Amino acid sequence: MAWMEKSKVDKAASVGNYLGLYLGQGQGVRLGESTVVSCHAHGRMPEKRVKGQIKIFTNRDAGKCFLDFVDEGQVVHIDVFHRPGEIEPIELAKAIFWALNQYFIVKDPQLQYAEDERFKITADYATRIFVTTGMGKGTVYNLMQEKVEAFGQTDEGYDHVHILAQLQKEEYYLVYVIAEVVEEFILNNELKLARVRNITHGNQKMEEESYAGYMRLPWKKLKGQNARQLPDKENVNQLIIKLAEKFGGVEEIEEFMENYSTNILKRKGIEQQKKKWGDIENDLEQLEELGILRDTMFGKVLTKQGQALKDFVLTNKCELETEIRRNIRKMPSGGKGRYKKLGKSESKMSSVELTNRNRTINNPDKNWSGNLAVPETIIQAKKNSFLRGDDHLVIKKDDLHYYDKKTYVPVDICFLIDASGSMAGDKRQAACFLAEHLLLSGKEKVAVVMFQERTSQVVVPFTRKQSVLKKGLATINPAGLTPLASGIMTAVDLIKNTRVKNPLLVLITDGLPNTPLWTMDAKADALEAASKIPEANISFICIGIEAYRQYLEKVAEKANGVLYVVDDLNKDNLINIVRTEKKQLQNARQ
Amino acid sequence: MLPFYVLERYEGNEALFNLVLMSIVSTYAGEPLHVHAEGLRGTGKTTIMRSARGILPPIERIKGCIYNCDPYDPHCPQHRYLSQEEIEAIGTEMIPMPFLEISHSAKVGTVAGSIDLARLTDPNHPEAHMLPGLIPQAHRGILFIDEINRLADTSPEITDILLDVMGNKPGHLQIEEAGLPAVEIIVNVSVWAASNPDEDPGPLEEIRRQLSDRFDMVCYMGRPHSVDILSNMLAENSHQKKTRLYKQRKVVQVDESKNEAYRQQIVRWAEQYDKTELPDFLRNFIARLYIKHNLESIRAIEAMQQGAVLRSLIKNRDKVQIGDVTETIPLVLKHRVDGDTLVRIINDLDTRGSKEGILSFKNRKDKKKEEEEPEYFQHDARSLKDLSRGELINTEKNLTPTDY
Ligand SMILES: [Zn+2]
Repeated sequence: MAWMEKSKVDKAASVGNYLGLYLGQGQGVRLGESTVVSCHAHGRMPEKRVKGQIKIFTNRDAGKCFLDFVDEGQVVHIDVFHRPGEIEPIELAKAIFWALNQYFIVKDPQLQYAEDERFKITADYATRIFVTTGMGKGTVYNLMQEKVEAFGQTDEGYDHVHILAQLQKEEYYLVYVIAEVVEEFILNNELKLARVRNITHGNQKMEEESYAGYMRLPWKKLKGQNARQLPDKENVNQLIIKLAEKFGGVEEIEEFMENYSTNILKRKGIEQQKKKWGDIENDLEQLEELGILRDTMFGKVLTKQGQALKDFVLTNKCELETEIRRNIRKMPSGGKGRYKKLGKSESKMSSVELTNRNRTINNPDKNWSGNLAVPETIIQAKKNSFLRGDDHLVIKKDDLHYYDKKTYVPVDICFLIDASGSMAGDKRQAACFLAEHLLLSGKEKVAVVMFQERTSQVVVPFTRKQSVLKKGLATINPAGLTPLASGIMTAVDLIKNTRVKNPLLVLITDGLPNTPLWTMDAKADALEAASKIPEANISFICIGIEAYRQYLEKVAEKANGVLYVVDDLNKDNLINIVRTEKKQLQNARQ
Repeated sequence: MLPFYVLERYEGNEALFNLVLMSIVSTYAGEPLHVHAEGLRGTGKTTIMRSARGILPPIERIKGCIYNCDPYDPHCPQHRYLSQEEIEAIGTEMIPMPFLEISHSAKVGTVAGSIDLARLTDPNHPEAHMLPGLIPQAHRGILFIDEINRLADTSPEITDILLDVMGNKPGHLQIEEAGLPAVEIIVNVSVWAASNPDEDPGPLEEIRRQLSDRFDMVCYMGRPHSVDILSNMLAENSHQKKTRLYKQRKVVQVDESKNEAYRQQIVRWAEQYDKTELPDFLRNFIARLYIKHNLESIRAIEAMQQGAVLRSLIKNRDKVQIGDVTETIPLVLKHRVDGDTLVRIINDLDTRGSKEGILSFKNRKDKKKEEEEPEYFQHDARSLKDLSRGELINTEKNLTPTDY
């Protein structure tokens, strides 16, 4: 027995060392014959028809994609593969817990007598180990208390036990302990261990959204004579929402569909479309699968159903636009965004005070300068007089009621959008979506300045009108160079010359400046321009990508602002950042 | 205002007519059903809801009780401890089912309750007494809130009260007034709300998610597209028609007999409601739906059950059918899940035939998985315990045969 235990400690230590080496290099390994360990997401490779192989997606960090971690490399991903079957997560969690607990005794016999201490150590690990089986999921800690989260459609686990453990490098030896007990548990459940033949490393092609698979459009004849009419309105609406997310709005959807009309003169080439909307191949494929488009000698054209969809869009424009706006207003789901914040925002904000006639305040403790609420005051006085037993109405200081005040910190936002060539497509769309989202979900004005080639211009002056915003955004056609200095100056001038409240300048860029304004040095000019931002009392944030972090940090510093580094300039990231920043500004007043 | 039965029905507003009837039946039977109509201007959502006032059946209460005490189940501070004899001595009266409206500029006192001014200022017997507000006065009836999104935006205090009132069935209400003891009371009201999600301050779910979730069903109104319907609507609303009717004076009678027919029908449905159970297979179906799609809100599936039964009643069927459930799904879920999830759920139902028939979820994907999975791996792996130290760690390199 002692010998077995000794061997287990040795094995675990050796595994810990190897994992430290390989995981540190961004590699994954097969542990034993059924378990794959890495810091990334795993998947199988049906496309190659090589069975029993697991691919380690080196571009998808496990902590980030499963647990919404911001930093990479925090989480070890352990998959133990088995023949499909039911694994009870609560029992499994208990097994893991006791295996760890037991192991600590073996490793450090002192702990045998310090039961509380040992239990505390194990419980701490239990909160950092997350288990999913085909029957449910949760941290070991929660599962021990029978708190099971339901197994969702998108979860992994029906043919493997999926474990995420937040471990430091020095703790990697525990991976062995965990894998060993999970295997034992599987075997005790009369299930067999699957053999992972091979592992490979590579990128996961980001699964483009595929919606054709689950949508049903009404214009297709349903199979089966008795098929009940489905509430197809929802399907059509959802399809339009999808297309609007991609193309921008009802008008753009019409414009897009025009390219597939039978009237060849109205059609624009795919390259031209891509410039505006980014990669559209996925959508074309989806629409084809849905029976909206079909291939002909003259390229893709709308089918009869496609025509019906187009007509539907025309007759229901108003309702669809409402639905689209509703979708734009929505807060992005999926928890925290994937970004890093560098620097600290400190701004003095001024607030607007409004009288709230819905609410009155009695006997305020501070000096009160608000409006006296006469009816409430008299009623209060009458009541108190009565309760005191006065024989006539007496109004005392305690009876005074005032109307409540609401304070509100408006933040008018100017977007400074990089419209150089590299921003074409999805990044442009995301920036435009962000501007619309802020206009529709807030009460403040929004403006847009873009910079490209050699100059910059105001495409949307400060406005509250969605139509004005949309019209301006439609003129953004990314191309050419990155004249950041010019962009900053145009934005600063616009803000100075407009009556705005607590202005916030949001710079969105995926590159570095390469067109100077005053000197021969584009970067130095942009820094010089950035220094004008705090002089004009403008708050500033920059949203950029990791590769240019060093320089952008300097820009943010000069501007007395904050830099956000994102892994991707997608709309969820952008919205999360700007909303968070806006909220912080609003709370920072005084 | 046009009476309920005259209002034009078309595809985009039919659901609301049904919901209004369902909610009245349910309220009459003692179980609130909270309904929210969302739509653009001109979809007639408030018109339909307000005109339903005309078809509300009468309820019986303890004579003069402002809290609408049910003589057989008194709940107000004044009557709850009385014996049946004492109540009989006071007597009972029939009143129309209450229909009260909260405006978006209402104050907490008006909504919940405040000191009774009339009694306080009574020259002969002044008394400090609580006057119940609109919510307790709407007990056993309907509380209507137009522009609920604005109310939620401007008055978080009233929103909190509504959350309590709608949180359970029946709901709770605490009436407070400085200097007087607080009154805790149960209220059984169905909240009906209307809003335009496209106008300031935007859709309710973005302003106060919890309040939006409290609504059992949400109806998204569409505008009429047919020329016939539009011209009928114009004719009904024309000045000439109104004047003509006014001169004829006959209209009131016609009106009342039709409204009366509705009232009687509602009472019959409500009696039926007490007896109608959701069949086990449908209950089971709803439960599976909840689990399969990982729905978060228990409230949602409770509303699905309640809605399905009520729908079968107003369609005059003696049994609840699968269609009653599936038609209810979008109304119950659209404000609770995102569009993609909703479409997946709707399309996931494989129902054949309109009668309760074969009922299953589509399992295409899973079947495909099952077919290909067993052979993806060979299940002959050795366990870690049986391996030597040197066999534990394998990299891509040493697993890949070099001659491959
Ligand atoms: Zn009473």
